Amino acid sequence: MVTLVDPANPPSRKAPLVWALAAAIPWTVLAVAQVVWLVLDGRSPGWAHAAAAALTVVGVLTFVVIAPLWRYRVHRWDVSLGSATPAVFTRTGWLVQERRIAPISRVQTVDVHRGPLDRIFGLANVTVTTASSAGAVRIVALDSEVADRIVAQLTDVAAIGDRDAT
Amino acid sequence: MSAPEIQWRRLSPRMLLVHPAHELLRQLPLLIGSVVLGSATGNQTWSVAVLVLLVVFGVARWFTTTYRIDGEQIQRREGVLQRTVSSLPRNRIRSVSTDARLLHRLLGLTVVKVSTGREVTGDAEFTLDAVRSSDVPGLRAILLADSLMAEAQEGPPRDRVIARWQPSWLRYSPLSFTGLAMIVAAVGLVYQTGAAVALQDSTLAREGVDAAERFGLVVTVTFGVGAVLVASVVLSVVRSLVTFGNLVLSRREDDGGAGVLHLEHGLLRARESTFDVRRLRGGTIREPLLVRMFGGARLDAVMTGVNGSGEASLLLPPCPSGTVRRVLAELIGRPDVVGGDLRGHGPTATRRRWTRALALPLVLGLAMAGATFVVAVPAVAWLVWGLTVVVAGLLAADRSRALGHRTGDGWLVAQAGSLERRRDCIEAAGIIGWTVRQTFFQRRAGVATLVAATAAGVKGYRVLDVPAEVAWSVAASASPWLVENDWAHE
Repeated sequence: MVTLVDPANPPSRKAPLVWALAAAIPWTVLAVAQVVWLVLDGRSPGWAHAAAAALTVVGVLTFVVIAPLWRYRVHRWDVSLGSATPAVFTRTGWLVQERRIAPISRVQTVDVHRGPLDRIFGLANVTVTTASSAGAVRIVALDSEVADRIVAQLTDVAAIGDRDAT
Repeated sequence: MSAPEIQWRRLSPRMLLVHPAHELLRQLPLLIGSVVLGSATGNQTWSVAVLVLLVVFGVARWFTTTYRIDGEQIQRREGVLQRTVSSLPRNRIRSVSTDARLLHRLLGLTVVKVSTGREVTGDAEFTLDAVRSSDVPGLRAILLADSLMAEAQEGPPRDRVIARWQPSWLRYSPLSFTGLAMIVAAVGLVYQTGAAVALQDSTLAREGVDAAERFGLVVTVTFGVGAVLVASVVLSVVRSLVTFGNLVLSRREDDGGAGVLHLEHGLLRARESTFDVRRLRGGTIREPLLVRMFGGARLDAVMTGVNGSGEASLLLPPCPSGTVRRVLAELIGRPDVVGGDLRGHGPTATRRRWTRALALPLVLGLAMAGATFVVAVPAVAWLVWGLTVVVAGLLAADRSRALGHRTGDGWLVAQAGSLERRRDCIEAAGIIGWTVRQTFFQRRAGVATLVAATAAGVKGYRVLDVPAEVAWSVAASASPWLVENDWAHE
């Protein structure tokens, strides 16, 4: 019976804040639109406005408060370099959770991605792609220096381009 | 400058006929628009100008498209206004397929498509449209020289036929919905072009309505449904015959190389594909319910460089299940993987099949029971509901029975589904990553879906609802490298 202990390293401490902000932006737009609707449209019944407002509150609670905190509890990553088969291992998700492992010998590219919010807060996302679209390992919301370190380590070990890794 | 410059070659000059015709077809709306404009203004210069422009453009495409094959790569230059040069390294070529539609065939031309392990669609595909059909075998041999090594041998290539189309395979084609889909598409087309409006006033339609009034509603509906069914069956059979009627699947072994797999089919539109066998990572036996009931199955290749779903990966159309299993066993050399017993996924997985199948009928039943307090629910509705429950139950039982996996000895087998049952046989060496996925309900039930990532076929192959505690063991028995890291515990 083989079990894998979960990877150890959490994302950046700023991750929940950034995730919450990213989720808050579309919800704010929606809330503003609802206020505009309430002000401009006097004919719709009150319960329609109330129902829309209730849905928005539930949505904000779920995606801006609960999801980021939950994800922060779930998200973990680890890179094992000294073992016989060096590999990257992550745990992600909240309602649907995934543990994903890929051996570094099969890695094709290591990409770093920084979105606008990530840049403001000094975060970075690392994507480790393999030849399979179902096998890409994403380590999200890392502190920039941690991300740079991972990339340096991975590209060192991977000797990418050695073989076609399919 | 070591090697001499290799000449750029043009495609077949006969494309001078095909390109303008294709260009006209592609810009049909523009052409119609110009004709309408011409007749409205009483001046047909416009439509003539557009016509000439399109023809010139088509001819220019031939003059601007060239290709060449050198030691390392195959290159293609094309584009009238925007020049693009695409090149493929020859050692990355995984498959060569050819396609000749009717117009191409009449002119003795063939489209050659070269693919690598990369996923490409649309314009990014590397196609030579088109070369002389007689040049194709030579071109194919050059492009796949890596896997063929055929030049060194004497005599004709030793092709061994693995499967050949049989007329009896036609009995599975009425069981597909292709005929019905064709009828629906045709009806849609009639409505879109506005021909339906013209039909409504025609004498034919009026006679039809008169006849319907004479015979009564029930007879007319029965007759109509029967006619559609018969037409659908006939269309399905004809389409199947035309598409697969001369299918031959053969394998060419070589002393040194791994050999290639060669598939050709199509009576009107001739298609041939040649795959590098080293890229074959297994196969998927698909058994749609209706086909399975009559002992049939179909076979898809799991191969790098070939799209996993759809026509590209097809090896055998619906045919007797025994043939499919024999062919797959022959291709991968492992009869135990193809036909061996599977390990079931336990009571939790079975219970989940039942709850998922029965949840919707149950909710429906409760809603109907609630509705009886408000309105009278007709007995027929309850009869339909009862039937739905029975069907859902049968589906759940069948799905539970199908669920299973088999790992070890370098192979992963996963089977699931009822309406679209599939048995994926994947070579473990091709698995380049594992995912254990759990939804909220799966975590509560203590099961997990295992996804094996590969570069071949549909990229991700799922083992549905294995008990969570054995998920990594299943993965590790296929991929021993899983235990060689800091996280694994025996």
